[in-house]
Amino acid sequence: MAEIRFENVTKYYGRKLAINDLSFTVKEGEFFSILGPTGAGKSTILKMLAGIEPVSSGKIFFNDILVNNLSPYKRNVSMAFESYNLYSHFSVYENIAFPLRAPKWKLNLSKEEERKKVVEIASFLNIEDLLERRPQALSGGQKQRVSLARALVRKPLVYLLDEPIAHLDAKLKFSTQTLLREFMINYKSTIIYVTHDYREALALSDRMMVLRKGKFDQIDTPEKIYCSPKVDFVGRSVGVPPMNIVDGELIKKDGKTTFKVGKYFTIVLKNELVKSAEKVAKIENDKRHVRLGIRCDDIKLSEKKLSDNSFQLPVYAAVREAESSVISFELENTFLLVRAKENAECKKVQISDLLWLDFKPERLFFYEKTMEIYKS
Amino acid sequence: MSKIDCKNIWRIYDGNVVGVKDLTFTCNDKEFLAILGPSGSGKSSTLRMLAGLEEVSKGEILFDGEVVNELGPAERNIALAFESYALYNRMSVYENVAFPLRAKGMNNENVDKSVKEISEVLNLGAILKKRPAELAGGDQQRVSLARALIRKPNLTLLDEPISHMDQRIRTEVRIQMRRIHEELGNTTIYVTHDQEEAISLCDRILIIYNAELQQIGTVDEIYNKPVNKFVAYFVGQPGMNFIKCKVESPENISLQTNNGKIIFGFTGFIDPKHVGSEITMGIRPQQIRIFGQEGQKSTIFGLVKIIEFQGDSDVLTVELDDINKTRIKVVIPAGGRKYKEKDTCWICFQPERIHLFDRTEKAIIEKKS
Repeated sequence: MAEIRFENVTKYYGRKLAINDLSFTVKEGEFFSILGPTGAGKSTILKMLAGIEPVSSGKIFFNDILVNNLSPYKRNVSMAFESYNLYSHFSVYENIAFPLRAPKWKLNLSKEEERKKVVEIASFLNIEDLLERRPQALSGGQKQRVSLARALVRKPLVYLLDEPIAHLDAKLKFSTQTLLREFMINYKSTIIYVTHDYREALALSDRMMVLRKGKFDQIDTPEKIYCSPKVDFVGRSVGVPPMNIVDGELIKKDGKTTFKVGKYFTIVLKNELVKSAEKVAKIENDKRHVRLGIRCDDIKLSEKKLSDNSFQLPVYAAVREAESSVISFELENTFLLVRAKENAECKKVQISDLLWLDFKPERLFFYEKTMEIYKS
Repeated sequence: MSKIDCKNIWRIYDGNVVGVKDLTFTCNDKEFLAILGPSGSGKSSTLRMLAGLEEVSKGEILFDGEVVNELGPAERNIALAFESYALYNRMSVYENVAFPLRAKGMNNENVDKSVKEISEVLNLGAILKKRPAELAGGDQQRVSLARALIRKPNLTLLDEPISHMDQRIRTEVRIQMRRIHEELGNTTIYVTHDQEEAISLCDRILIIYNAELQQIGTVDEIYNKPVNKFVAYFVGQPGMNFIKCKVESPENISLQTNNGKIIFGFTGFIDPKHVGSEITMGIRPQQIRIFGQEGQKSTIFGLVKIIEFQGDSDVLTVELDDINKTRIKVVIPAGGRKYKEKDTCWICFQPERIHLFDRTEKAIIEKKS
């Protein structure tokens, strides 16, 4: 396994900037995820690591060795592509065994040793029944697991996994995610994992990067990414329902600072929060604009007023989850979504019922506006 | 508005392939019903028969008590909204929504009145002049719905209309759809393979598998009283845990460990003929109690193998101390005790949370409250 380092890496496709002066380090033995929407540059990073795409400028190091000019052949990486890239004239067994047979690794395995390794990884991923089949005879989900098995069968300096479970159905995806986590616990290796699904990134990673338009907003542990996102975009990138984002202004009056949205919605801020809000406030037309972020689990619903940070709003609509409900409220130009546990008072809410929303002050975040929030 | 009845309907394709087998159900007036099943289960065949796009091989479909088997799609007055929005890009949103009325030859004044009406409900005012291509996915969805609903259909049929949207947008679109349904109260049947979608939107869920009806009921009935193992596992994420156990008495089961057996009680009773046989216990990952120390009665020892952080919860994979070393999943909401991999724990199955399935995979607990 290796430590991987990006130093000021930039990548252009023609005139289009894909990766913008990116520097980061993946530690030896770390499971590192790159989370971002389509087009953020996730796959480009993997391709540059694999040596399939050259960098436009900057340096990539494996264990302090500059690899920019090394061919894919010499980098000793193992990659699973989202598009599977299976050899259709080989059986599943031969596809998985392929990396073990490549002369460059000089593994010189006997037939029995090879079979043992192939069968081991295939049964780990629950595809041992498919070994004699051809890729054409497989479903998309099966092909994807074969592709993953082929990537995991050999121990390289670094595993590069590009959306390796994206095409599995919901139940299988979840169980395969668990297997990946188990693989990582059992065979500690450097793994760089690209996904657009925040659940995979949170569940699997030691650390993760939230990538947007070729630059990252935050690199942190999953807990920090979820519980203290530093940028509005990071907050919106992890969690469903997505973090509530409310734009408003800071008002200082009689020594008190309040956050105000529209006519009726005001929260009095305590000292610590005032500081963090002032830091990101943007002054326009003598008004101090800030953005508030709060998760749907951090607002408490009640039929009574609970504190000074409580507001009454009419219910817009409610949708069910298996063990809870998500209740939405309209506030100016946005929705506030609040999760209500099944056994709470608010189970049978009706449209237009007035409820109190109580904001937990320690779970409020203030942000500079770095993205547009569309209300559907 | 109408009530839909399907009476013993069959769909048989060439070569005696049964697409839908003897399906009977009712969708009440103003109800939002989901038809839920994995791909190839027969749900799309059912939808196509309801829409009049496919012939009913046997049985009857009734709209408000009248048989519609012989009526074509147009005569049934159905609104169909498919997954792909199929909006006309060369027309404004307004003209897209007005299209079905213009096709009927309605005059401008009445068209305008109807478009304004539906726009208000669906909150389209600000985007009426835009072209569909300029809109976000959620907005396109609303335009598509507006076009489907403007004819005041007897029945709205939705075929996975939001399954390919971004997860984050989906929540808001669901909220909009629920709001629209409650305002307009139109009878809606929603076909989907996504159990989460069905739970979030619908009043009742019909589950179909292998061309056959498995269960129809409210979300709570389906989730808390599944009639068989298939329904139990298909609805809920992560899926229900299954553990082999032995029936001790009509009111008790046991798990075998290397240090003897542990007895668990359950709410209700089962037929005494099962006593002594090996059956399957089912329990949802969200409904398991887990402790760091021993102390409770009827607990089984376990080892935390894997922890998956999901933001609002942790999902634990726990290896139980039974002779099969069964692995189960346990969901702990955020704010609960934090476990580490390799921690030991004690698992408690509460009587009212236990499901039991016999060898034919049928749920066998009777009088479960």
